[in-house]
Amino acid sequence: MGFLRHLLSKLGWYAAAFAAALGLNFFLPRLLPGNPVDTLVAQALRGGASSETKQRVYETYIQEFGLDQNLGAQFLTYVGNVLQGDFGTSFSRHPAEVSAMIADALPWTIALQLPAVLLGWIIGNLVGAVAAYRRGGLDRGIYLSSLFLTAAPYYCLAILLLYGFAVVLPLFPTGGGWSFGLSPEWSAPFAADALSHWFLPFLSLLLVFIGGQAIGMRSMAVYEVDADYVRFAESFGLPDRKIVGYIFRNGMLPQITGLALAIGTLVGGALLTEIVYSYPGIGTLLYDAILNKDYPVIQAVTLLVLIVVLVANFLVDVLYGLIDPRIRAAERGDR
Amino acid sequence: MTLASIRDLSAHYSAGGTRFHALDEVALDVRSGQILGVVGESGCGKSTMASVLSLNPGPSLRVTAGTLSVAGTDIDLTDATRGASASHRALRGGTVALLPQGALNALNPTRRVGAQAHDILAAGDRRIKRAVSYERAAARLEALDLPPRALRAYPHQLSGGMRQRVVTALATLRNPRLLVADEPSSALDVSSQRLLVDLLRRLIAEGLVEGIVFITHDVALLSELADRIAVMYAGRVVEEAPARELVSSPRHPYSQALLASVLVPEPGTRGRRLTGIPGSPPDLRAPLAGCAFAPRCEHAMDVCATDRPPRVVTGSRDDSCWRSAETEEAAHVG
Repeated sequence: MGFLRHLLSKLGWYAAAFAAALGLNFFLPRLLPGNPVDTLVAQALRGGASSETKQRVYETYIQEFGLDQNLGAQFLTYVGNVLQGDFGTSFSRHPAEVSAMIADALPWTIALQLPAVLLGWIIGNLVGAVAAYRRGGLDRGIYLSSLFLTAAPYYCLAILLLYGFAVVLPLFPTGGGWSFGLSPEWSAPFAADALSHWFLPFLSLLLVFIGGQAIGMRSMAVYEVDADYVRFAESFGLPDRKIVGYIFRNGMLPQITGLALAIGTLVGGALLTEIVYSYPGIGTLLYDAILNKDYPVIQAVTLLVLIVVLVANFLVDVLYGLIDPRIRAAERGDR
Repeated sequence: MTLASIRDLSAHYSAGGTRFHALDEVALDVRSGQILGVVGESGCGKSTMASVLSLNPGPSLRVTAGTLSVAGTDIDLTDATRGASASHRALRGGTVALLPQGALNALNPTRRVGAQAHDILAAGDRRIKRAVSYERAAARLEALDLPPRALRAYPHQLSGGMRQRVVTALATLRNPRLLVADEPSSALDVSSQRLLVDLLRRLIAEGLVEGIVFITHDVALLSELADRIAVMYAGRVVEEAPARELVSSPRHPYSQALLASVLVPEPGTRGRRLTGIPGSPPDLRAPLAGCAFAPRCEHAMDVCATDRPPRVVTGSRDDSCWRSAETEEAAHVG
């Protein structure tokens, strides 16, 4: 009963956050200076057309996109459409459906990010816990290299890796999701080709993520290492592996939040990496959309990010209880 | 019969080039079937000794000398300073076990008690099945009149006193020969203390452990629980005697002062006045030439400041004081 109420109040907060973010989603892109149709018209009728034709085309597009209505009316239409699952058509690649564009880009981003985040989280946290437990030179080495990895901006590491392993040593392709001449299909040669394009961006994300997580876990674990329960476990000669496991489990609560935030910011975090490697994911899609002031695409991508962040946070709230029995007890209302 | 003897144990903490002499040539015997109480004020080296005896000294402790013989096994304690502790690891929990100071937090908060019992048993026997360890732990709890359902609980679901007793049962799960209890009672209220004391007595009576070293600053508790009491001061054992004799007629001036500063329930307690011990414990950064207690001692002589007093054994007790040494000499001459 207590838990259900707890869950409902959480859901209420999430709904409020969603409503607020939906508004920002809509209005922020429209604060960008300029007008999407200007760009579109300039590209469509390069020079040749008379100003009258231009004016006609311009007005058609404005009407087609609904940009002649006032912002409030546009917002209501937008909310109504979103609630029906309709994200509209792209401005810059008219008449492509926004949902189809996202459906094309999303699998690439997920395939790139999810393994990097999950693997990076596990490796990073284990490395951090081991460093804290073993102390000494190993700890210092791990700490310094993690600090370096996490302090390096995403794109710096991406560019360094690109330069090192695609330009100097041409082991991997320099960019794109697949080679020219191939088209996405379910076949072994294409999979191998896609994998070779996938590896470098994956590695750059993985390394940055490992660094951040290792530092976080280490600073949590140094407190746990001196805890009474660790000393007690040591007094029985428990294997190190087991003790690191104890420390890991107790130090990992804040790290779970870190994981949720990382999953939430998947798309944003990937933006620069995807641009560096011209990877055909959500990040590149968003980047192009912003350049072209393609409101529907920007809105749809940021809405997607919003939903993922909220869902990830909600899952963390539930997961906390699973990891720490004390939180579970507090949520149930007993102790 | 002697179950365990500690010989010549010296250790220091090193911090930034400074040494803190925590233990200074400590020698103690634990007899089979007995509880040896170790008492002293804060900073006298009690807990340091517990960590060394349980073969798990902290990372900054350097054990420079000392051996522990337990039930026929000689253990070189100097190896125990990390790294070389692999051989000690095998003895931990099975031969010597620690009942820790902060027993209330000694259990992993995110693991059920039963799973922790399994971890402990698996440290001794890697192939033991989870169900078997569970059964053994349950049987042990039952034998000690503790509810076996505690195994299904998380630590926070047990009360403080219950947690302490469960920790005691877990510490002795692998039937260690020697149990080192490091102030296990200090965080408990009196009734929980009572239950803990009964539990420790039972462990001895039923032969689950052969001997206990019980470290505390609570003389009153020791006078009830221990068979023999050793008094420590500034890293040295200054007196050791059967509990009743030590409480009724302490010989070393520090033991006398310590007992004068607390109330031990015995006939005549009502009319007693309490006195404190003047001065403060010595600075342990420099090695002490003479008797460590000399600066605070009302009977101090010139020799006390310069020469270390010998250990004078009389009958079943001993103490290290120049006064006793002189009395002893006079008795021999006369």
